[in-house]
Amino acid sequence: MLHRCDRCDNPASVHLTEIRGKEKSERHLCENCARALHVPQASKELQKLLKTFAPGQVPGGEPAAGTDRACPECGMTWAEFRQHGRFGCSSDYEVFAKEIDRLLKRIHGSTEYTGKSPGGTPVERGREMNELERVRQALAEAVEEENYEEAARLRDEMYRLSDVGEPGEAPGEEEGA
Amino acid sequence: MTGTDSWLPGLWMLGDGPEQDVVVSSRMRLARNVEGFRFKSRQEHAEAGDSEDERLVVRLREALAEAGPGLRYVSMTELGPTQREVLFERHLVSAEHVNDKHARGVAYSTDGTTSVMLNEEDHLRLQVFAPGLELGALDERVNALDDALAERLAYSFNSRYGYLTSCPTNTGTGLRVSVMLHLPALSFRGADTGSGSSSEKGIVRVHKAAQRLGLTVRGAHGESSRAEGDFYQISNQVTLGRSPQEAVADLQSVLDLVINFERKSREYVLKDDRTRIEDVVWRAWAILCHARRITSREALAHLSALRLGVWLGVMDRAEVSTLHALMVRMQPGHLQHEAGRELQPAERDVVRAELIRDNLQKA
Repeated sequence: MLHRCDRCDNPASVHLTEIRGKEKSERHLCENCARALHVPQASKELQKLLKTFAPGQVPGGEPAAGTDRACPECGMTWAEFRQHGRFGCSSDYEVFAKEIDRLLKRIHGSTEYTGKSPGGTPVERGREMNELERVRQALAEAVEEENYEEAARLRDEMYRLSDVGEPGEAPGEEEGA
Repeated sequence: MTGTDSWLPGLWMLGDGPEQDVVVSSRMRLARNVEGFRFKSRQEHAEAGDSEDERLVVRLREALAEAGPGLRYVSMTELGPTQREVLFERHLVSAEHVNDKHARGVAYSTDGTTSVMLNEEDHLRLQVFAPGLELGALDERVNALDDALAERLAYSFNSRYGYLTSCPTNTGTGLRVSVMLHLPALSFRGADTGSGSSSEKGIVRVHKAAQRLGLTVRGAHGESSRAEGDFYQISNQVTLGRSPQEAVADLQSVLDLVINFERKSREYVLKDDRTRIEDVVWRAWAILCHARRITSREALAHLSALRLGVWLGVMDRAEVSTLHALMVRMQPGHLQHEAGRELQPAERDVVRAELIRDNLQKA
């Protein structure tokens, strides 16, 4: 159904759902009015990309089961997400895991996080790494690069860490954990 | 601004910073969400009473009071439209944060170099700013605040995707690093330094180099804004699969290239046709010192020419900090705020011309 802009009667391209208490209301705006009202819009690139993510489209061609399912936390459906480009809550990442995985791959070229975690544990390629694992990996890399001086240092560090006790419990982290 | 504006943060962009002939300012932003609350697109909102958005803002404020004790909190719903516009024009809040029905706020340091938006597109948007190119220091500042908040809030995070955000373009690190550049010589001519045979303008080459590294180049006010006054913003796009350090390194490598291009182009322009540059700069001066009405677009173009003139040493009447202050204060929100009333566009052009005349002739 073609909606007209609530403000100026041009064809609407931005559709908003507002939730007040239990009531849901809809607003339709054209791109210009949406911008004038500082209404958030997914970037042009994202909008274009989302168009290619039709419901039920899964690599291999088999129709996805339950594409009309809604997130139990926020009620978001994949179709609604595609229209706005915004998730409704963090549970959407689990509810639409398959679709989101493909989407993130398309946007970022990867689906594996590398960076810190809120607890301070480094995460590499989507996997939490404790101190011991990190040193073990660095050691393997050092050996591969034939950097034996560094490898010897890392080996000593690995022994030291192994003696502390449970892997993952780096010294000084016991407090308040 | 006048003494009654105690709620207003300082104009940090007037300070000195590294590489400031080309780099105007640097910004880092982290997007974070908190478990137990929906994102704004699905948040319950009620005119009065205890709704989800109100509860979220209260929770975030408690954490922020402990994690960022120096920050001053302002509720966006209690500010007038002009005041909100002023905060937007200083980049302390986003366009999205200006007009919205939800409970939301912003906390900022008195010098205006730190701002935290509460209940924007994401529950928290932590931003830090610095004049010139200053990515290392910004990284430390924004992460210190983030880590302090993480001790008090349960962030939405999983080890596969990292920080979970409202828009998939931010999922992962939630980090956006942007640098604002002044590229008048590159916009004006090619990036080559000799033959002049390059048919491609330097700025086109900058776009291409940036694209290859997953970066974007756009106008100074972010999404969909045009590069007015030859001010460009370069920022990272990829937040998943690249660590924050790698994102900064990618950006840095393009910046090195662009800064070098721009400096070489400036040298060449000066050597090639000094009179022409002097003419452009001094005509800009003449117009700004005498115009009786001026639009922000025209004023920005002339201020940009003066900024170039100062760095090239062909203009000795203006200070860069005066020009930067005018770029902020000549915007509609600031003009109306200072006037203490709403001004129609035609009136604003008159008031703007007067503000610029007064400030340039005083300098």
